[in-house]
Amino acid sequence: MTNDLTANNSPISLSLQAERLAFDDFTLFEGVELELPAGAWTCLLGPSGVGKTTLLRLIAGLIPGAENISLHCSDNNPIEGRTAYMAQQDLLMPWLSVLENILLGAKLRGEAPDKAKALDLLDQVGLTANAESLPSSLSGGMRQRAALARTLMEDRPLVLMDEPFSSLDAISRVRMQDLAANLLTGRTVLLVTHDPLEALRLGDRIHVLSGRPVHIDDAFMPHGQRPRDLHDPDVLNGQADLLERLSAADQKGAA
Amino acid sequence: MLYRLPLLSFLALVAFNSPTLAADKLTVLLDWFVNPDHAPLIIAKEKGFFKAAGLDVTLIAPSDPSAPPKLVAAGKAELAVSYQPQLHVQVEQGLPLIRIATLVSTPLNSLVVLKNGPIKSIKDLKGKKVGFSVGGFEDAVLSAMLNKYGLNLKDVTLINVNFSLSPSIVAGKVDAVIGAFRNFELNQMDIINKPGRAFYPEEEGVPPYDELIIVAHKSKTRDKRYRRFVDAIEQAVQYLVNHPQESWAAFIGAHKNLNDELNKRAWRDTMPRFALRPAAFDRARYHRFSKFLKKQGLIKNTRPISDYAIELP
Amino acid sequence: MSIARPLIIFLGLLLIWHLIVIASGVPPYILPAPHLVFQALAERGDILFSHAWITLLEIVFGLALGTLLGSLSALTLSYYQPARRWLMPILVVSQAIPVFALAPILVLWLGYGMVSKVAMATLIIYFPVTAAFFDGLRRTEPGHLDLAKTMNATRWSVLRHIRIPAALPAFASGLRVATAVAPIGAIVGEWVGSSEGLGFLMLHANGRMQIDVMFAALFILAVIAVALYYAVDAGLKRLLFWSSETTTTEL
Repeated sequence: MTNDLTANNSPISLSLQAERLAFDDFTLFEGVELELPAGAWTCLLGPSGVGKTTLLRLIAGLIPGAENISLHCSDNNPIEGRTAYMAQQDLLMPWLSVLENILLGAKLRGEAPDKAKALDLLDQVGLTANAESLPSSLSGGMRQRAALARTLMEDRPLVLMDEPFSSLDAISRVRMQDLAANLLTGRTVLLVTHDPLEALRLGDRIHVLSGRPVHIDDAFMPHGQRPRDLHDPDVLNGQADLLERLSAADQKGAA
Repeated sequence: MLYRLPLLSFLALVAFNSPTLAADKLTVLLDWFVNPDHAPLIIAKEKGFFKAAGLDVTLIAPSDPSAPPKLVAAGKAELAVSYQPQLHVQVEQGLPLIRIATLVSTPLNSLVVLKNGPIKSIKDLKGKKVGFSVGGFEDAVLSAMLNKYGLNLKDVTLINVNFSLSPSIVAGKVDAVIGAFRNFELNQMDIINKPGRAFYPEEEGVPPYDELIIVAHKSKTRDKRYRRFVDAIEQAVQYLVNHPQESWAAFIGAHKNLNDELNKRAWRDTMPRFALRPAAFDRARYHRFSKFLKKQGLIKNTRPISDYAIELP
Repeated sequence: MSIARPLIIFLGLLLIWHLIVIASGVPPYILPAPHLVFQALAERGDILFSHAWITLLEIVFGLALGTLLGSLSALTLSYYQPARRWLMPILVVSQAIPVFALAPILVLWLGYGMVSKVAMATLIIYFPVTAAFFDGLRRTEPGHLDLAKTMNATRWSVLRHIRIPAALPAFASGLRVATAVAPIGAIVGEWVGSSEGLGFLMLHANGRMQIDVMFAALFILAVIAVALYYAVDAGLKRLLFWSSETTTTEL
């Protein structure tokens, strides 16, 4: 499969150490540590506003002026320029066709576009027929698939996904989870989600975040390969457990 | 007892109709902002000649100079200050206007060049630029003046400079301007040390005409107020002639913002030009001018004088 | 594009005009009836159309120049933060000063030919175009900018490939306003000093009490303004083929 990492890139792990991240009136992190193991999917769960998106954006380099943050990659290269980002909105440019959207990165960097690879990716997400369509003519699920193809096109070792499927209906969501799990094999993924089921299906390590400043609890590590089957006992049992933890986290935050 | 009521009412009627108690209101639209050209009107108001004639006159300056005649014609205003040349054209276009008095009985319009400029005679205008203010009439005047020297309108370039007559010639944007009032623009140019020199239309092939007249709606000439109005103007002109200092004092007393060098000079230059007999007009003179306009193509037909001018009985 | 609806509206307006003239008894030297105006159009057609051509050129050049300057200003404001301190006051002043006040000065500087009228039209549309385009450039979706950052795009690349296309709908609004307003600049310029154009013709006709000719010129001006608007609108719809307003609405 062409989306596999090339021989040069074996999966990398990332370790984040945030001494302190504060905004005008409150401290978000203080002495926070997070490990993203190589080739694994790390999920961040937690109540809204707890800071999971902020953590992700920190790693993506989208929070300017953040000092006292250390991001260390296992291959000792800097993290800059080596992440691919996928958000809850598809972020497709409305004036570009689906194919042109997938090739966006090359266009922005002034590189020659690899059309063949893009078409192949389109095929893998099942959007070949829509290559020339405008995003406005696609359904929500199709647009997220296009976004996934664009993310894959970037071919980065670290993939950061911020609630990428939460705007889809339940069936589309499950399908997208399967698709993403298959296509992102071998990459290191950070997935922020508010859905315990999603975390259990896709995550190798699940962290629940709570409190202010944020506290990251110990990882919950389900067994088995992702995407885990809906009937998997780990998934079923884990849900109740995670929901308890989430509830406790929510109360802690409300306090 | 009963007959006292009618007697009382009769006495009351007589009492309230006497001129000293009942003043008739009258609105006069000026042609432009108040300036020395309107001296007879201002003096008639300030020195009480209107009041003595039982008239309460309001003078209104228009924001759009082309409106007053139209408003009088449409019955929205009673009297307006206008121009004889325009009157001929307006009447032909069907406006029911009639001239009831003359304010300024000489032309004021002139062709002005820089005194120290290259234009020394009208002949020198060949191939030059002439600025004008669109009043509808200037090209006819210019044409006649050029014709006298064997030129015609095609030998010059006419440029509409709207009301910026002095600025455009002083700035050298045009070589001459037509439509400049000799009592105004010339003084304006003198004051800023760029003296001008005027060629007078009535000396260069244009028949003389009244620059400023008072017009009324054609159907209203029997209005009793109008004769009283014109008589009051005559008294004002007499006063102007007999008491020039007091007149100027009264003028700037009523319009303090006009107490400046330009207006002082304009006043002095306009003095000799007021019609000494405002109600009167010279039929042959009007007819001669009408024929001139027809020749210049501004009107299609001459018409009986009574169509557009009258001496009020 | 269906011509039926605009044609009906047009005829309807003519009818209303005619009825107003009859009902109010207004004299023809204040408001002529439509048939008198069309008569004047027919009789003086050659003069009217040659002057109309001049005014049309003034409007089109003014529109082009104003749009160009406005777009460049908006891009400058967007790209260089410090420029805002200098450019913003100029922008506001250009909008605040009534055109009528500036017109005589422009005419004195730039002469009585077409240049001063083009300048007037440019001036009058400079603010709407700049403000609308700048606003659009400022309001780029943050998500798009985030995505671009993670893709290592340069600032210039983001401007060119994301900010500008995203700002085009806003720019289009500004351009539509500009198209509607540009004729005013040209006409006011002509009123203040010119020897040709519809504005000049209107003044001249008014001075000669040829109100039917004046209205004929006004009518042609209205036709030019409307035609120009629709032409620009059609062009914008083409440019914004992807925009939701274009895909979901008809005329």
